[in-house]
Amino acid sequence: MRETYGKQLPGTKISDLAGKLIVIEGTDGAGRSTQIDLLKPWLEELGHAVVDTGMTRSPLAGDGIRRAKETNNLGRVTQSLFYATDFVDRLENEIVPALRAGFIVLTDRYIYSLMARAIVRGMDPQWIRSIFRVALKPDAVFYLRLGIDQLVPRVVFTRGFDYWESGMDVYPNCDMYDSFCQYQAALLEEFDRLSAEFNFEMVDASADAKTVCDQLKGKILRLLEADYRESFLAQAAAEMAAVSAPASVAERAGPEWRKASGAGERFRQLAHLSLFPRLTRERVG
Amino acid sequence: MPLVQRYGEHRYPGRLIVVEGIDGSGKSTQLSLLHKWLESKRYGVVFSEWNSSPLVKDTTKLGKKKKMLTPATFSLIHSTDFADRTERNILPLLKAGAVVLCDRYIYTAFARDVARGMDREWVRDLYGFAVKPAIAFYFRVPLETAIHRLNDARDGFKFYEAGLDLGLSEDAEESFRMFQGRILGEYEKMIPEFGLTVVDATLPIEAQQAQVRQIVKSHLQKATELRMQP
Repeated sequence: MRETYGKQLPGTKISDLAGKLIVIEGTDGAGRSTQIDLLKPWLEELGHAVVDTGMTRSPLAGDGIRRAKETNNLGRVTQSLFYATDFVDRLENEIVPALRAGFIVLTDRYIYSLMARAIVRGMDPQWIRSIFRVALKPDAVFYLRLGIDQLVPRVVFTRGFDYWESGMDVYPNCDMYDSFCQYQAALLEEFDRLSAEFNFEMVDASADAKTVCDQLKGKILRLLEADYRESFLAQAAAEMAAVSAPASVAERAGPEWRKASGAGERFRQLAHLSLFPRLTRERVG
Repeated sequence: MPLVQRYGEHRYPGRLIVVEGIDGSGKSTQLSLLHKWLESKRYGVVFSEWNSSPLVKDTTKLGKKKKMLTPATFSLIHSTDFADRTERNILPLLKAGAVVLCDRYIYTAFARDVARGMDREWVRDLYGFAVKPAIAFYFRVPLETAIHRLNDARDGFKFYEAGLDLGLSEDAEESFRMFQGRILGEYEKMIPEFGLTVVDATLPIEAQQAQVRQIVKSHLQKATELRMQP
């Protein structure tokens, strides 16, 4: 049953949200967007409709936040609330409708990043939690964890220092590098705390992108399995029947026919994933 | 030490005075008269208006113009605006020893957002970073008087002010009546909750102002650290 962290949004029904809400969390440089770029087409290939969303992408507040950040004069409370506005705009107008339509929503960061950033900036942890009580509880939170030693070169040697990523508003008396290290270490510490409280599934983000992605795929498949096993089983069985029934025809037509029909490939793909142990046992093994 | 403390009593030398009430209650007129009087008494006095942050107001304007705001985002964007004014304006001014005058304060948000269906506790938590005003005047006026004044002063009711986003009624005036009626109900509950100072806004302007000045005067006499104009 879908629920929020304690407070309902007026006019938003959540009992009929059939889709899955999957959160990819992690600090800067943990490879969140790389993973989402890999996961989205993979899920679509499996037949799932996917929406991806992330911070400051709301039509309401995205541009406003970017403009305010350019001034380097955005206060801590203001910043926390501006991001909360952006989040709720996307929650109500993007995430909830997509879930209602049965989509998988992949979100690059969620309320946890917003909480961590606010807390590191000295906000009362209870205050920031109270605001996000209107958020939906996701189906899974995958936390791409990177130690501070790996995080620094990944961020710094790829895109250089950014004022906000370096937390220069938090440590104004430091140089960019020292500020960056302190800020990111404080964020990591906060993420680790949130991880326990909100049951993050930890993924070691220090490995290469493919290894991380394989881990994520495995976790996502287990999440989806329960819901989709039945429907896929029926579908795959039907596809197999279509391929195997006119076996003689297929033999005579040669491999080209099989390729054109696509059904055999589809089955092998499904079986290979060992997503459906029952299916694999009964039909293949 | 967390920066945010729910409606903290600030220890700064300045004084925060706010006016509250529905549209058409005459609160802005009263505040402007108070402002002139305080200036004539050579107090360092600064005025801060609801919804006026240079960093945030464009976003609010966009949301209103395109009717993108839901009760939740309406609430959040106004709190963002208020936060910016608090951080960059109200708090430093209080620290500098000014008398800060606010046309609308957190009580406006509590009344409007709850009237829009937001959870009462959630909205109060949201504004937990606000500082407590020294005096919060509530200009109490019957709905019909307010509507009469608004109809005289301008044509038509604004979309969000009339609560037209809630679909209470197709008719703007009827919607305004229903929505502002709810707001009045919330204000009444807040009088004891926050110790609002009630002014009868049906009295002549001069009579209200005399009362306001009397209350402000007796308060400021006790505030010895206020910064005066040179």
